[in-house]
Amino acid sequence: MFKFGDNSPPAANQECRLPYRTFPATFQYPAVEPGTLGPCPVGSDALQGIKRQQTNPSRWKGQGWQDFAAAIRTAGTELREQAAARGTFATDAGGTSYGMPHGVVVARNAGQIADLLRVAQQFQVPVTVRGGGLTTEGESVAFGGVLLDMTGMSRVLHIDTDALTVRTEAGIFWHSLAEELRRSNMDYLSAPLNLTSSVGGTLGVGGIDVNSPRLGCSADQALSLQVVTPTGEIIECSDTKNADLFQRVILGYGQFGVITEATLKIRPYTPLRMHYFYYSSLRTAIEDLQLLDRNDASDYSGILTIMDCAVNLLVAFDTDEREAEFKANWQQRLRGYGEWSFALHMVGRYALRPWKLAEAWYLFQRKRELFPELHRSEYMRDNLMFDRSVVFSRAVWKFWGCKQMVIPDLATSADKFAEAVERGNLVCRKYFPHYTLYLVGIKLRPEHRPHYEMSCIPADAGDWAYGCEFEPMIDGKVYSRDHFQSFKNAIYDIGVDLGGSYYRFGGMMKGYIRRVFGDEVVDRHLAMKRKADPAMILNRDVIF
Amino acid sequence: MISTNDHAACSGCSLCLLVCPMWRHSRDIALSAHGYAKALQHGASANDIAAELWSCTLCGACDPVCPEQINVTGMILDLRRRLEHVGSTTVRARMESEALRPLAIQHATVKLLPDQALLESPELLSRIAALLGIPVAEDDGADIALAVEAGIIIQPQRMQRFLASWRGLKKIIIADGLLLKHLRQLLPAMNFVSLGEALSTHAVVRRSLRATDLYVIEPRAYHADFHRLVKHYDRLRAESGSAFNLDLQRIAIPATSRSLPQRLGLIAPDDNEQARWVLHGRRISRIVVESLEDRAAFEKITDIRVVHLAELAEDKVCGK
Repeated sequence: MFKFGDNSPPAANQECRLPYRTFPATFQYPAVEPGTLGPCPVGSDALQGIKRQQTNPSRWKGQGWQDFAAAIRTAGTELREQAAARGTFATDAGGTSYGMPHGVVVARNAGQIADLLRVAQQFQVPVTVRGGGLTTEGESVAFGGVLLDMTGMSRVLHIDTDALTVRTEAGIFWHSLAEELRRSNMDYLSAPLNLTSSVGGTLGVGGIDVNSPRLGCSADQALSLQVVTPTGEIIECSDTKNADLFQRVILGYGQFGVITEATLKIRPYTPLRMHYFYYSSLRTAIEDLQLLDRNDASDYSGILTIMDCAVNLLVAFDTDEREAEFKANWQQRLRGYGEWSFALHMVGRYALRPWKLAEAWYLFQRKRELFPELHRSEYMRDNLMFDRSVVFSRAVWKFWGCKQMVIPDLATSADKFAEAVERGNLVCRKYFPHYTLYLVGIKLRPEHRPHYEMSCIPADAGDWAYGCEFEPMIDGKVYSRDHFQSFKNAIYDIGVDLGGSYYRFGGMMKGYIRRVFGDEVVDRHLAMKRKADPAMILNRDVIF
Repeated sequence: MISTNDHAACSGCSLCLLVCPMWRHSRDIALSAHGYAKALQHGASANDIAAELWSCTLCGACDPVCPEQINVTGMILDLRRRLEHVGSTTVRARMESEALRPLAIQHATVKLLPDQALLESPELLSRIAALLGIPVAEDDGADIALAVEAGIIIQPQRMQRFLASWRGLKKIIIADGLLLKHLRQLLPAMNFVSLGEALSTHAVVRRSLRATDLYVIEPRAYHADFHRLVKHYDRLRAESGSAFNLDLQRIAIPATSRSLPQRLGLIAPDDNEQARWVLHGRRISRIVVESLEDRAAFEKITDIRVVHLAELAEDKVCGK
């Protein structure tokens, strides 16, 4: 059985091209008392008003880089040190954190990564792992050390249409995985609604889809993983094999290993039967969303707001039977309007409020731009939507994307959700003239409770957790980094206040982790991390 | 649509990777539009990334997917203009000699501009001309197409001679997708149509397509006019039931991945992997191609019958 921090030499049959050295016995960990750590010395991008708590006070400043680089090259690994190669990874999708690695390694196989991590332990060089780079607080930005680009390992290895599983390299984009699965008329279960999240990165943080109320978060579809531990062991793990490692790696913010391969559940592909309901009250829409989820009344559900008074509940189905069941039992109970009756409702609303005509014009324009994108003929056949991930992702990039992905979020239990969303909505209103909220439920799996500890899944969530992303519409305006960061912090503070969590693209933030989870949980995980990663090299400063 | 050739606009979203045949082959961001733009943003010159720039096949798949609306192929061609290709002298000499060649007068309102592969298959070229009922242009502009791809500035005398041969023309059907894109930018008022679109609009050809066919769209022309042609091919798909070499974003998957040195025969083409990916998992009885290069690529890796669009009518008559 695998044990964290087991530094014994690798077994004879384990690939190891380098002379294996255990961590120097004379090395002294910096004296750090858990929970009483000083502020971090790095930090042009430290969170506004909150000192970045340093759990790894001896931030690496480049010591021993040349020796490390020589050792890596001796092992046959290409290390790119040119400014152009390093600059490719200078920031993440958030665009508020900038850092330069000393060198870049493109991942090619688990053996190469094992060698890299062993040498990095030996020379205490930080290694930052990056998949799609869709983090928002710099979690996949390397502030020195090595940037490991996992997209180099992005091939599908095997699709088993009988067992409904796929084995894939973990640097693959979900979209590329979908492309391969579709050739076998298969689909993944759930994945983030953007095209360039990687499988490995998502399994490390969560991942939501509009079918998450039924199928859970993306990380829950992993059946087994090949992981390279921070000390360079290559280990296969699952709920039954090396389960302690599996539990820590899934939703573990990349702290306990690099996921190199994953076996995931898959399902037969189906196009969607779409329905849209429109509300003028956010709370009513949330109540109806939760009603559908509790009663398993739909296969897909989620809320997208256009304005506070124009809220869209999306409901969809995989089969005609499920759709007919919904129409017979649930549709009448929803309080939303159809498209035309909502339009009439809004005409009435603005006829009585002529001073709000600018708002009405914005709404009209938004509808005119967005709706055709959701009904493009090449993605619709016989009223069925094909390729939901492409349709929604294109819309996200086209209508919400910008150079800075400013999308703070909250995750709470079902009963706190409406309050969290309403408070978050007020924050949005304070900072931006226009914004969109994306809300979705996440079915939790009781047997995965150990995975959920210190993750994006709120500790008090029952059968479902709920996530809400708050997405400002930038509309070509220019905002300062401080404005964005201040907005994000105001959203995150609601999560702390309500005892929730964050449905992070890229992981929980270091500045919030103790406030959210408390010292006892964090210190326990920090002790595990130190055992597994003696030099604290892997994805430093993300949470520890 | 706002479109810029400026690498500075790249936000590094990686959407171009998803459709790039070079990235698919190498799994290395350096060999993608994302990689070029980021390298340039961080101080690299065109010379520093010359090998990467020459490796691009200019299929144009990255153009319609870029959320910043960067004209990626335009950006790459701009950068190539700062480099010197080994074949540049030969191409310039060819342009000079073409510019001096006497111009024969052809009276027509529509003409066909063949690409290099069609010029090397005169029988198929005549069949296409007969099917469309139009003459083949006396000045095919093959040297200009090559110059565009190599990033060589086209000599004004050569361009003048080329355009002089178009007097009285209302429509030009072009086989080379890159040349089509270039000419469309140069002469926006002229009606340019890709050979693939022209043939696939022909009633006989449309009727000859079967549900068990794989229809392989030539990517350069398709991506150059993506927003219009995606509808054209979607209608063709609905009508014929054929499968298409389109990915989930409706981007055409190139069946070949030939860089300029490979197109010029300086390096052996290595595009079996790409053609295999187009065929992967598909149950089809016939492959229908718009481009002869694609036919050659498929014939190397499969026993499935491969036909050019222009041969479809005959295929139907023969019951193949």
